[in-house]
Amino acid sequence: MHGPLIETLARQGVTRRTFMKYCATLASMMALPPAAGRAMAEAMAAAPSASKRPSVIWLPFQECTGCTESITRSHSPTLEGLIFDVISLDYQETLMAAAGHQAEEALHAAMKANEGKYLLIVDGSIPLALDGAYSCIGGKSNLETLKEVAKGAAAIVAMGSCAAYGGLPRANPNPTGAVSVADVIKDKPIINIPGCPPIPVVMTGVLAHFLTFGSLPELDKLGRPKAFYGETIHDRCYRRPFYDQGKFAKTFDDEGARNGWCLFELGCKGPITHNACATVKWNGGTSWPVESGHGCLGCSEPDFWDGGGFYKALSMPANPLKMAAGAAVAGLAAGAAVSIVNRGKKSSARAAHETTTLADLEK
Amino acid sequence: MPHNATPLHAIPVVTVSAGLRAGELSGNAPTLLREIAEMLRRLLATDAGSAIDLQALPLTPADLIWLRARLGEGEVAVTLNADGDSSLNETACPGVWWVTHRNPQGAVVSEFIEVAYVPDVVRAPREDVVIGLESLESLSAELS
Amino acid sequence: MNEMQFLTWVRGQGLDLAVSIFLLGVLWRLLEIYGLGRKKDLTAPRHTPGASGWHTVFRRSLPAEGMLKKSPVTYIAGYTFHIGLGGVVFLFAPHIKLIQSLTGLHWPGLPSQFVDLIAIVTIAAMVVVLVDRISKPVKRFLSTFEDWFTWLVTFLPLLTGWLAVRHLLLPYTSMLAVHILSVEILLIVLPFTKLFHAFTVFGSRWYNGTVNGHKGVVV
Repeated sequence: MHGPLIETLARQGVTRRTFMKYCATLASMMALPPAAGRAMAEAMAAAPSASKRPSVIWLPFQECTGCTESITRSHSPTLEGLIFDVISLDYQETLMAAAGHQAEEALHAAMKANEGKYLLIVDGSIPLALDGAYSCIGGKSNLETLKEVAKGAAAIVAMGSCAAYGGLPRANPNPTGAVSVADVIKDKPIINIPGCPPIPVVMTGVLAHFLTFGSLPELDKLGRPKAFYGETIHDRCYRRPFYDQGKFAKTFDDEGARNGWCLFELGCKGPITHNACATVKWNGGTSWPVESGHGCLGCSEPDFWDGGGFYKALSMPANPLKMAAGAAVAGLAAGAAVSIVNRGKKSSARAAHETTTLADLEK
Repeated sequence: MPHNATPLHAIPVVTVSAGLRAGELSGNAPTLLREIAEMLRRLLATDAGSAIDLQALPLTPADLIWLRARLGEGEVAVTLNADGDSSLNETACPGVWWVTHRNPQGAVVSEFIEVAYVPDVVRAPREDVVIGLESLESLSAELS
Repeated sequence: MNEMQFLTWVRGQGLDLAVSIFLLGVLWRLLEIYGLGRKKDLTAPRHTPGASGWHTVFRRSLPAEGMLKKSPVTYIAGYTFHIGLGGVVFLFAPHIKLIQSLTGLHWPGLPSQFVDLIAIVTIAAMVVVLVDRISKPVKRFLSTFEDWFTWLVTFLPLLTGWLAVRHLLLPYTSMLAVHILSVEILLIVLPFTKLFHAFTVFGSRWYNGTVNGHKGVVV
């Protein structure tokens, strides 16, 4: 196992054994066969030297930088961060030293030098209202920037729920007209890594896959890598047996909550949320929302913000019934109106009634 | 303090171990024994090693305990200190290794059954041996 | 539209729409039917024991003499599925929670396992009445599209609800959404088909009993 990357890592004190262990674990997390771990280690170790590393451009749009926060905190200072050594992150506003015109120059230089080959990562949604005036960088709307940079990209990674589905900015009534990357770009392969924020290892796993096999991993119908988004939180939840037994916490401080019973009735969206939190967990495998006693919000699913309330059970009405009272009044009014018409018919029939006499019958 | 407030220490905290199913056998473990036997035959025939990712299979903790007990303890136990401890223990079946990788916090990050004469990761990588040789040579050069 | 959006729609706008149409239809038709009124019967009432509106309401709940033997399926399976349907709809804890969240009214439910058993029996009874309707030439001859259609819209909520609870056939999300949708279809259809008997059955019995009782006829 040799190559520029592994030698760089070796200088930083990362041994080949450590690297092999990391790749084996990464392959396991991505549900790849054990042999793929070995292939990954070989391919990544041999990643080209600094001058030829695959160029990655990271564009931030209408976002909160939470996705970047998540990635940079992966579990530093371990190897996940070092995956970034395999790539050349040419533009990332939050992390790069350059600013202003220099940053713009770096972006354009990278685009030109790697035309058709760079990987574009987008976080944040793209506002379309008011001609995109809601979010601009360097005097250009996000829409213009995305179209311009996407043109030369080999593939696009939509990082986080905002880039993947429009996310929080798109929440009803969507004041900025926010849309997802896939709503704008139709002619490039797009991989969605939703989550608010996404799990760091999902990001590095997808990058590792792209670098190792030169292709994107298998995606589901929402463009998410199946390896991480193939199962629901509920499927893999350690509290699942309580659900099956019908043992539910009814409030956040009742006996059921203290006994760690299922949070379904407290609004957990686990049954409809595809993500890897239940297995990969957060903060270096420390814990995850359900383990800390709070239901899943469903942040890796489209429109989770408008899912009818975080604390409402999935089987409950999502919204108060707005039309029902009006409909009831309309029903009463219609019934009354029909009744009046019917009564009118009856009385006019009575009025038009002619008595039949014996003379009539003898005619 | 309002009269109805509960002091913090009065709130009982109960740690509940994961699902109740954890203690049950799923019935999937015995089939693995046959797969391991097949992998051993392949090792003898072609010298090709192989591995089973235990986290990718529907196995309960009870299954893993059952499997581990059936495979038994062998003569060699290797501890690898690389970004957290890993243990590579040979089972009573020579050539079958139980490999557990842990992170620096001690949590299990991946677990495999590896079939090989020696697991790949135990063997010193050639490139590292070269580096080791260089440092040894410079050490003896300093001494002489 | 993905599963989540589908479920959110049926729980939100879809439910609002269905409940609204249901309320509109039910109130309209009830008011219309009872607002119709009848001409006053000026004859002197004849009094016969057992001839009154209330007597008929109860009497018609029991099979007429000899009918149970002639048509056991109609009575036994019919009773089973009506009572079972009532039990599943109004005594399943999640349904009570739903009604409570909409109206504030609530009452004790039955254990889920017991409701599950009732659901199975009810589904079986509904299948039996359908088979009976198909296999008996007279019943088949008398059946119109409305009869088949109302059977289906009553059966689907029962079946999909049971499948959702048991996690069969479709993922829970989708099955729950399909179940809610099927209930919404039932709600919309109910006021405008013969399913409206849910509201009018006792009223019409009482009316028949009273009108005939006035004439001294036991019905």
